[in-house]
Amino acid sequence: MDMAIDTPSPAPPPTPPAPSAAAGRQTRAAEAVRLEHQLVRVPLESLRATVRSNHRLAEKEIAAVLSSASAAPAESSAAAVDHLTSLVSRLHGLKRKMEEGARVEELQVQRCRARLDRLATASTGDDAEWEDIRLKRILVDYMLRMSYYDSATKLAETSGIQELVDIDVFLDAKRVIDSLQNNEVAPALAWCAENKSRLKKSKSKLEFLLRLQEFVEFVKAKNCIQAIAYARKHLAPWGNMHMKELQRVTATLVFRSNTNCTPYKILFEQERWDYLVDIFKQDFCKLYGMTLEPLLNIYLQAGLTALKTPFCTEGSCPREDPLSLEGFRKLAEPLPFSKQHHSKLVCYITKELMDTENPPRVLPNGYVYSEKALQEMSKKNDGKITCPRTGDVCDFSECVRAFIS
Amino acid sequence: MEIDSLREGFDRVAEKRSLSSAKALEAVDQIVNEVEQAIVKLQMMNTDSTGNVDHPSILAELKSKLNEMAPLNQLEGSQKELNGALSKYLKVLEKSFNPDISKAYRNVDFEVHTVNNIIANHFYRQGLFDLGDMFARECGELGGTSLKLPFQEMYAILEAMKARNLEPALSWAAKNHDQLLQNGSMLEFKLYQLQFVEILSKGSRGEGKDEALLYARTHLVPFAAVHKEEFQKLMACLLWVGRLDQSPYSELMSSAHWEKLAEELTHQFCSLLGQSRESPLSVAVSAGFQGLPTLLKLTQVMAAKKQEWQVMKQLPVPIDIGPEFQYHSVFVCPVLREQSSDENPPMRMPCGHVVSKQSIMKLSKSSSRPFKCPYCPSEAVASHCKQLHF
Repeated sequence: MDMAIDTPSPAPPPTPPAPSAAAGRQTRAAEAVRLEHQLVRVPLESLRATVRSNHRLAEKEIAAVLSSASAAPAESSAAAVDHLTSLVSRLHGLKRKMEEGARVEELQVQRCRARLDRLATASTGDDAEWEDIRLKRILVDYMLRMSYYDSATKLAETSGIQELVDIDVFLDAKRVIDSLQNNEVAPALAWCAENKSRLKKSKSKLEFLLRLQEFVEFVKAKNCIQAIAYARKHLAPWGNMHMKELQRVTATLVFRSNTNCTPYKILFEQERWDYLVDIFKQDFCKLYGMTLEPLLNIYLQAGLTALKTPFCTEGSCPREDPLSLEGFRKLAEPLPFSKQHHSKLVCYITKELMDTENPPRVLPNGYVYSEKALQEMSKKNDGKITCPRTGDVCDFSECVRAFIS
Repeated sequence: MEIDSLREGFDRVAEKRSLSSAKALEAVDQIVNEVEQAIVKLQMMNTDSTGNVDHPSILAELKSKLNEMAPLNQLEGSQKELNGALSKYLKVLEKSFNPDISKAYRNVDFEVHTVNNIIANHFYRQGLFDLGDMFARECGELGGTSLKLPFQEMYAILEAMKARNLEPALSWAAKNHDQLLQNGSMLEFKLYQLQFVEILSKGSRGEGKDEALLYARTHLVPFAAVHKEEFQKLMACLLWVGRLDQSPYSELMSSAHWEKLAEELTHQFCSLLGQSRESPLSVAVSAGFQGLPTLLKLTQVMAAKKQEWQVMKQLPVPIDIGPEFQYHSVFVCPVLREQSSDENPPMRMPCGHVVSKQSIMKLSKSSSRPFKCPYCPSEAVASHCKQLHF
């Protein structure tokens, strides 16, 4: 930024003209909207999943009805009537289910629209309400990922942003997570079956790991015969892809769950279930196009990186800077410092940026304040200036300009 | 970003979806229709003893009709169109948005307990006390510093002000009289002024005047010396008691004064608590939204150059965030292109231009000779350059 160079200045290379503050704010706001992928993607994925399962249901039932219709008993017409009547009631049942499915789809379509509408009203840079709702959305996302479901629901309800957060999606995941924590694999396997083709595409290992766990549970219960039968049926198909792990796990057959042999010991440990929960969460996020980390962590990291300067740890760090607080400093510790290519001066008194409109002025003692602050002070004190940091007193007329580029 | 083109893409999806769903229901209806017709025919045959048709042929006819209808193909067709629209729209999304914002994420563990404490206090700061309590309970973060009590006091004062009750605000201001004065805040006087105007505008002519006069004597007089102008204006209002709205001072009754004062009170309250005005969590996240696009571009460039993003100590480029996030003065020497430090502070040459101490040492060959300012034709000697403190 060029500041008050009112003398001709041949040196150094001219910096490109800084865009006006308002324009800068607008580009930043537009760029910020481009980060909201998850907001529009998740409801779309829900819609896709519902459409797929509704379609599958209709397909299956209709196929069944068709084959049943062609196999109607031909011995007597009464038997045929009975058979066909039962088919009609089956079809009515299907129709009810399909109508219900269509209603769910419509709700999800509405939700997708609500998200687009929200983005259409995106702030152009200075809209406290928009930013407040945005933060609330991010907090709900954080709570859902951390399994603080009650708080998430309450925050969404009290701020009326249910259409903008994905509580139901996460509640679906919760069922699976809870069951895994209770050492049950059935709901997780059902989830894998529902999303089979897409999990395969993303090379998910979840189902394999779940199968391994079930196998290990048989071994734990000293049920070797059943374990082998289970492995033949459910583990063998994974042989091509994960032979190493398959070998290692099947070797547990000869060890017992109280083994001290490390590579096998860990397979028996309770922590394996936590590991499965983690893997499930990862696959779940991928499937819905979510980031693996909570959005809050991502934005906090970026924000703290942008704000982190070596001055933040000084005692004089103003309290408006989040990094003046212990908690934020701790979070920022492993992050890099930001960098400045151009001078940016903040008036110690007014905390405002000093620029051509409000240029810096130097007191005889070398301390620098904005012209606005000094003018105000001199007006109140008959032209006298008291340096707030040293207590030195001088005349306003003694304060000289400084040119900073 | 063009929301309209996204909307168009999604409208296509929605349209194909309702079409596909209608088609599927229609197919079911058609099957029902055919089967029911067959049933009627079968029943007719029972009552009609001519025996022209036998039931196997009716069943065969039903079968061939159903085959001809091929409901599964109909289903498949409309579903395919829907899937086409969906994947097209997905591609538009990928293009319009940044599909993976976690690329610039540094793999460090954010201490959960620190983050939770920050969130709980954020809710307390916003006056969402029930939510803060619930959150603290749910994440087991009941210890730690809590802003609950002080902010409860603040919100109680603000609530009372909303109900046009200034008592709690006044007693708080009186209690913190010295500190407010030190901050140069006129809050206390402004509160008394507001109360005074309230009495004037509500009271009837007779009693109102007495009450207002008494109030002015006890509460406003102590401020008369400092706020002379305002004081005179307020006393003149006494002439219009009961009809202040028709006076030249009707502006004093504007409800904007209440809002402004509530804001000022919030500001002073936070300041006396040693807290920032804005919630630090809001500030950090807003800065994140502004800074992340640059960080994402940076990681892309660095990945291409095979540089390590995860361990870098300082960013190689500046991040463009709004001036509202600038809390510290940063001086970058225009000659050395380096940030100033205690060892290399900014110095002002007699012409007014500022460069770093090291630059001056270089230009003056270690203060041995006069040198020309790099910005203007004037000459300087090192001993006449003065160190600056921002």
